[in-house]
Amino acid sequence: MIGVRSKRRPFLYPGEEVRPSREPKLKLHGTTKHAIETGRMRLIATAGLFGAAFLMISLRLVDLMVLNDETPAVYSRSHGAARSPMARADIVDRNGIIIATNLPTVNLYADTHEVPDAKEAATKLAATLTDLKHDELVRRLTSGQRFMYLRRNLTPEDQMTVNRLGIPGVYFEDSESRAYLHSSLFAQVIGNTDPDNHGLGGIEKSFDKQLAQGNTPLMLSLDVRVQSAVHETLAASIVRYRAVAGAAVVMDVHSGEVLAMVSLPDFDPKAMNAASQDERFNRSTLGLFEMGSAFKLFTAAMALETGSADLNSTYDTAEPIKIGRFTIHDDHPLNRRLTVPEILVHSSNIGAAKMALDAGTETQKSYLKKFGLLSQLELEVPERGTPQFPSSWRDVNTITISYGHGISVTPVHMAAAVSALVNGGTLYTPTLVRNATGEAPVGQQVISKKTSDSMRAMMRMIATVDGGTGRQADAAAKGYDIGGKTGSAEKVGARGGYSKSSNRTVFVSAFPISAPRYVVFVLLDEPHGTKETYNFATAGWNAAPTAGNIVNKIGPMLGVFPVGHDDNFAPLNTLMQAYSNGGGSDDYAKPVLVKAPTVAAPKTTAEPVTAEKPAVDPYGESDADAEEAPGGIGDLIGTLRTGGTGAAQ
Amino acid sequence: MSDTGFLSARFRRGDMTPMEKIWQMSWSLLFWVSCIFAFGFAMLYSAGNGTDGPGSFQPWAIPQLIRFIIGLGMVTAIALIDVRLLLRYAYIFYAVVLVLLVAVDVKGIIGGGAQRWIDFGFINLQPSELMKPALVLALARYFHGVGTEEIGRPSILVVPIIMTMVPVALVVKQPDLGTALLIMASAGGLLFIAGIRMWKFGLAILGGIGAAWGVWPVLHDYQRNRVLTFLDPERDSLGAGYHILQSQIALGSGGLFGKGYLAGTQSHLNFLPERQTDFIFTMLAEELGMVGGLALLALYVIVLIYGYAIAFRCRHQFGRLVAMGLTTGFFLYFFINIAMVMGLLPVVGVTLPFISYGGTALLTLMLCVGLIMNVHVHRDVQMAMRGGFTDF
Repeated sequence: MIGVRSKRRPFLYPGEEVRPSREPKLKLHGTTKHAIETGRMRLIATAGLFGAAFLMISLRLVDLMVLNDETPAVYSRSHGAARSPMARADIVDRNGIIIATNLPTVNLYADTHEVPDAKEAATKLAATLTDLKHDELVRRLTSGQRFMYLRRNLTPEDQMTVNRLGIPGVYFEDSESRAYLHSSLFAQVIGNTDPDNHGLGGIEKSFDKQLAQGNTPLMLSLDVRVQSAVHETLAASIVRYRAVAGAAVVMDVHSGEVLAMVSLPDFDPKAMNAASQDERFNRSTLGLFEMGSAFKLFTAAMALETGSADLNSTYDTAEPIKIGRFTIHDDHPLNRRLTVPEILVHSSNIGAAKMALDAGTETQKSYLKKFGLLSQLELEVPERGTPQFPSSWRDVNTITISYGHGISVTPVHMAAAVSALVNGGTLYTPTLVRNATGEAPVGQQVISKKTSDSMRAMMRMIATVDGGTGRQADAAAKGYDIGGKTGSAEKVGARGGYSKSSNRTVFVSAFPISAPRYVVFVLLDEPHGTKETYNFATAGWNAAPTAGNIVNKIGPMLGVFPVGHDDNFAPLNTLMQAYSNGGGSDDYAKPVLVKAPTVAAPKTTAEPVTAEKPAVDPYGESDADAEEAPGGIGDLIGTLRTGGTGAAQ
Repeated sequence: MSDTGFLSARFRRGDMTPMEKIWQMSWSLLFWVSCIFAFGFAMLYSAGNGTDGPGSFQPWAIPQLIRFIIGLGMVTAIALIDVRLLLRYAYIFYAVVLVLLVAVDVKGIIGGGAQRWIDFGFINLQPSELMKPALVLALARYFHGVGTEEIGRPSILVVPIIMTMVPVALVVKQPDLGTALLIMASAGGLLFIAGIRMWKFGLAILGGIGAAWGVWPVLHDYQRNRVLTFLDPERDSLGAGYHILQSQIALGSGGLFGKGYLAGTQSHLNFLPERQTDFIFTMLAEELGMVGGLALLALYVIVLIYGYAIAFRCRHQFGRLVAMGLTTGFFLYFFINIAMVMGLLPVVGVTLPFISYGGTALLTLMLCVGLIMNVHVHRDVQMAMRGGFTDF
């Protein structure tokens, strides 16, 4: 009667009490039966789900603990949780040398609610971290914020000292800070990041997203060694020639990859805030410059390519060209007909102008367009210049543009276009990222191989034959066969006209010219004459030797062998023969050609000029030192220039 | 009196003496629960790094043991309550907990931050924990009163949905999405057992997805970010990813038989955070190996089978639903916790039942065990739809 024990079985074994009872089944019908069956089915289904879930976690347990060969790191990456918002991938050069990286650091912050005495805390902190101002600290500590940065990037020593102060409410935050291991070497190209590690300029800005999200280092086409040599050489030249600024670019002619890109003055990325606008300005990619006579290379290439002239064609340079009220002179007129190579060697404006007029305005325009000189620079930095050129292109524009006036482009434009001139005629899009795919870069054929061969032969002649404006480059390269073209342009003065006293000089060159691999471009802004240059300040005296020095330094790094002065490659040989033979032209005046135009260098030394100051600049660019009548070429271009904008924007 | 004492009229009416009820209790269930707790006690001892080597009764093991003993008393006391009283006061209990939840929210607003508990001086009560049994009781009472013919009507669902969504909304607001989802899942399980048509579940799930789909594009970026972080707290936190990483290292280093009790390097060298609460299973698995982990899982399965069998065996709908709802909740707890430390689910703050350190959680669990026990003791009581005493 009492209790539930049955008389036969006094004890229940564990669990028996919850066994389904063996009571007789009730017979049910209709909805009730249906509902009860549903209930039972649901219970069984639930039990099945429980069982499946159990099986799953048991299997996972076995998998993790015994069969585990999956690395936990992979797992954590898949969740992406271990990535700090400050994390940022490295930037490395083409050889994997780190240019920019992240270093662990510590930031100091305060929960101002927890700071008991702001004044006392500020006094203590200001005494330790001397760059913090007491009043500013008080203002921050009384701001009522729960999170207020006091100082970023503490040194371990500072951290220890602040920690020992024991100020309540002052905490450290682990962080990462961007470090640029080469100081100012890559200043404008790489750019910088803000305190939250967002890119502010250069590569850091254009690859901001990729760098912030990925872990793989970004490999650039730049080469730290080459960059360093170029930087050093250019800086030395700026000092030597008392220039105000300079730019230099080294480009691989077979891919458009930029190996070095320098713009001076520059800045230390750590102190970017203190840098002036001028220092932040990347002259290589954003600076627009009139390239002066260097543009004659394109004029010659166009003439040869279209067939409006061949290497033996001659142009009469005796008479200045009169167009409207303007007259176009040559610097030291030879007063006779010149062949195409001679026009380049002696940098004859009249010859270039006539070549361009022969080819025609439309042809000139379409060729410059083909060389990419009329469209915005394509490069992986945000700072990219768009060339300036006249909107309506008349004969007078054709003439001035033929020798590089009235059109301004960036140094990288120039390097890319000259690469196409010397590499067999293929124009590659310039790039700062190393091509890691192993596939050959795709370029666009803009001129034929034949024209390209002739171009580099003529560039070599400019650097070797007597009176060639590029001879000092060859001398400075000391055995590397360099070929190139000088260019000088007067700077645009404040009132829009050309300034007589200040100019810009460029030298664009390729080496080894017998089988070109690299283009070296140098620009100097307002170089001055020195005692060694007999006070001449044209490109042949400063930009050309600078380029030569650069080639001499980077040649060994890039695995290029010097050839001495034993030039021997087919296009040059053919050309030189024609040159010595007088080109087969009746008007050819051989004696004038083989000697220095005005002043012969003393025969006792190898250098082209020595002790005595030449009366006239033998490397003078026609337009730089030209005696101009009122309304000369400078005024002409000044008039054509729209709105009197400066060349360097 | 036949020997089928279970079917005696007195038992059916619930007129048992306290002694009879105590005899009717499933002591073996308590034994298994105690076994699980013993695991937990050992682990808490191991987790408490003493001054002279690993292992200490303080600060976790002893307080937890005291709570467990109090909990055992609670189980017995609850088992003795007449099930009809539970049924009668289910709504009132639910209402009281709901008021507490509102109070927490209001106090949280005043206090300026997320607040989940009320300080009664002697105990910090966490109403969202209490809401789980309260909601199960209330829903069970509701469906106990619904006839088998009525269950198919859609209108029947209005009240339980409101009863579920109001506390869920309050808990979400705290904000504690993990607990809110757990409450919802328990309620869903209960509705399933109650016999709601399958297509309605499908409709509800589709509706939920649809609503999320529709609202998502309208949200601001920062709101979306909050939701994403809510759903997956590791998303932008260094800490939680670290937990999982260390947890996996610990599990991997445990091997078949573990490193030995008190010898887990990950936990004793403080690599493993929260080793006394959410990540205690990791520590257990590291020290006792896969065998230890599977043994604990087996114990949980046994307890689940008890809850399931008690529900199956119960002769009234109320008891069946209470037992099943609570068992489902219990299952979700340890399933989510273990799946979380093994990296199968995102990290949400769910403790391991009977093992993790924590007062409210343990006492709530013992309350649930007490309710299941009560259902077991009163399995044969016959109740009318409104819970009155029925004479046969």
